[in-house]
Amino acid sequence: MNEVSPRLRVNGAEHTVTVPARTSLADLLRDRLGLTGTHLGCEEGVCGACTVLVDGLPVRGCLTLAATCDGAEVVTVEGLTGADADRLRAAFSREGALQCGFCTPGMLITAYDLVRRRAAGSPEEIRAGLGGNLCRCTGYQALVRAIASAAGESAGEPGTRGGAEPGTRTGESHPRDRA
Amino acid sequence: MKPAEFGYHRPCEVSEAVALLAGLGDGARVLGGGQSLMPELNARRITPVHLVDITGIGSLRGARRVAGGVRYGAATTHRMVEDGLVPDAGGGLLARAAAGIGHRAVRTRGTLGGSLAYADPAAEWPVVFAALDATVEVCGARGVRSLPARELPRGAFRSGLATDEIVVAVEVRSLPQGRWWGLHKTAGTAGAYASSLAVVLFDTDARGRLEQVALWLGAARETPVRLPATELLLTGRSAAGLDVAAVLPGVAQDLGTVDAAPDDAARHGLRVHAATVCRALARAAPVVSAAAGEGAGAP
Repeated sequence: MNEVSPRLRVNGAEHTVTVPARTSLADLLRDRLGLTGTHLGCEEGVCGACTVLVDGLPVRGCLTLAATCDGAEVVTVEGLTGADADRLRAAFSREGALQCGFCTPGMLITAYDLVRRRAAGSPEEIRAGLGGNLCRCTGYQALVRAIASAAGESAGEPGTRGGAEPGTRTGESHPRDRA
Repeated sequence: MKPAEFGYHRPCEVSEAVALLAGLGDGARVLGGGQSLMPELNARRITPVHLVDITGIGSLRGARRVAGGVRYGAATTHRMVEDGLVPDAGGGLLARAAAGIGHRAVRTRGTLGGSLAYADPAAEWPVVFAALDATVEVCGARGVRSLPARELPRGAFRSGLATDEIVVAVEVRSLPQGRWWGLHKTAGTAGAYASSLAVVLFDTDARGRLEQVALWLGAARETPVRLPATELLLTGRSAAGLDVAAVLPGVAQDLGTVDAAPDDAARHGLRVHAATVCRALARAAPVVSAAAGEGAGAP
């Protein structure tokens, strides 16, 4: 069983890809599906550049085997859509929250998760939430400003809170929790 | 780096996993959430011939109430505990512990059973479950057995599991109303492993003095340690008036270190542990009953 054929739904499209069992989710996304927006930095779970959403939850693409994702719904930075994602992209651009851009995909996915969970209410909370994403340009001030700005707009939006996807907010159960 | 080649197995039942492990022998490793194992595999510090992924076993995921407590399936994730998707037998202690593990993207995959089996001396669950005197249920080719969580870690990164055994569940008696819990983790950066991790449980008398103190420390030795001399020192005292100097003699006695040790690092380490104990006491909270978290699966 050195090869596996996980069935994945990636950014809305179904794929069944046969890969060596040792293939990480991040490598499958990049090398087999051409989704090179997901970046691999440390490959030991420290830098956060490879963070993607699996079934609505952020995971390390480098610490997740593709084989374990059979049947999963995966969202990469390329497929991050909706009002909160648009607000975050605009805020990142407006605040200059990226320099070289290497960490940006992971930052956007983590920021999206923070905003959707209403876990970006203060600069302190945002800094704590970004603890698992490194920016080696050290552009953290602008990142925190951008996320605070997008979170503020999202919080002011009527109905957003109740309209979040299942499993993306604190306290909500997710179908996979019951698997 | 990328992992070396391995054979991958994804059983759907505990019995299937155990049979696989028994058949594959020493060359096989169990894969839970992978948040400790995957970095080891990626760096090729370990190169198992086979991986047995137990996260596809539905019966290991989630928790249910049992008489007097809660039974947590081994594949329950840190996030499920953090978010209150399962009942908190520690009256808030388990959720606090979970929230301090790694980062959110690690907590969404890392599991209780994986943490116990991995036996990292600085990890949260071994010391928390030791303090709560939890019972661990493991299953191997010869059947199911239960052992105290305190007896599962045998050394740094060494558990008492046989090669064909996996952790199935952790059973925790609920802390009673009126009891207090405190947890403090001292770590270099957010998400890092602890350099000290203190868990304290106590009652208070009418004047707020500590009684029935249970105090456990992680990251101090290869396995979690109880601090009986410090427990005695704290008994009858009020948590409010305690500082590092007051706690230090007890911690020094428990760890067998003297504050006048010639080794600077040993003295520093001792003070870090004493300060961590003080902070766990200072931030202690009363048990809140866990009404939430029902119905998140049943192991």
